[in-house]
Amino acid sequence: MRKTLSLAVFGAATFAMTAMGTAQTELSRNQIINSLQGAQTKVEISADELRRQAIEHINKYPGDNSTEVLPLSAKLAQLRQFNVEVTFDFDSARIKPESYETIGLMADALHTPYLMGQLFFVVGHTDAKGKREYNLELSQRRAEAIREALVTTFRVPPETLEAVGLGEEQLRDPANPDAEVNRRVQLINVGYP
Amino acid sequence: MTRILFAVAAIMMAAGITTASAQTVGFADAIKILSVSCGKDIEAHCKNANLGNNEIGQCLEQNQSKISAQCNADRVRVTALIQERLAAQAAAPKLCDRDAQQYCKLVKPGAGHVLRCLLKAQPSVSNKCNEAIDLAGYR
Repeated sequence: MRKTLSLAVFGAATFAMTAMGTAQTELSRNQIINSLQGAQTKVEISADELRRQAIEHINKYPGDNSTEVLPLSAKLAQLRQFNVEVTFDFDSARIKPESYETIGLMADALHTPYLMGQLFFVVGHTDAKGKREYNLELSQRRAEAIREALVTTFRVPPETLEAVGLGEEQLRDPANPDAEVNRRVQLINVGYP
Repeated sequence: MTRILFAVAAIMMAAGITTASAQTVGFADAIKILSVSCGKDIEAHCKNANLGNNEIGQCLEQNQSKISAQCNADRVRVTALIQERLAAQAAAPKLCDRDAQQYCKLVKPGAGHVLRCLLKAQPSVSNKCNEAIDLAGYR
């Protein structure tokens, strides 16, 4: 009995510490809401078109790394958006337990009236290590895994989320293509459908 | 069983989550309990399961004899917490309908305008609606 109790208390203490750390430094639901709210009524951009452009981009500008920007890049950059980091198993779309909280925060934000009824793209990006086709496919599967978790575990309405993988076709830091900063998930508000 | 319940209560209290009886927690706080209590078990027994489609939930259930007591208690609790928050959010618009009519009549619905108005009008808003807003995590 005594041993179980002290274990439980220890568990509680570490949990409280991480919870406090989150409140101070890491991302919060309101940060996500503030970055995403205030979308225009209608944005002419489709997830299919974006996926198609990424594939065409590889064919049009082959090579180890892309040297050009995606045609839709400028348009995407104008939209309300937020970057999160989600960690996956190596070469896999399996979300690591340490990132569950991040997915939960996305759900917390998407479930508020401030963001309800708007369409969001979940866009997955990789760094430039490895083959471009492979990265494109992996990032698509990872974006889908996040969408799936949001839609099923947290009941975000499925019609409000589209998963898009852009692989290494839209690097955040093109000067350092292999840098970690390029690996990210963008949540983009595409406005009212 | 009592021990398990106590452990859950200790964690909840330490995280400052449930102090009052009628309260719900956000999705991030709920799922974080799962990664804290079950993270090791998930990595050990559910290497092929993902967070979506209840894969993790099913895997933990199938392996309940192998996973920790803490994880067994919390996996059930976390599902309940998520359901409670979803129910509270679904109920809020109805519970606040009368207040919205009364205090936010001129506000254009959508984009959280009505909620913003109700939050501003908190001192006048009914207890029923204020409580609904709290339970939905909308404050």
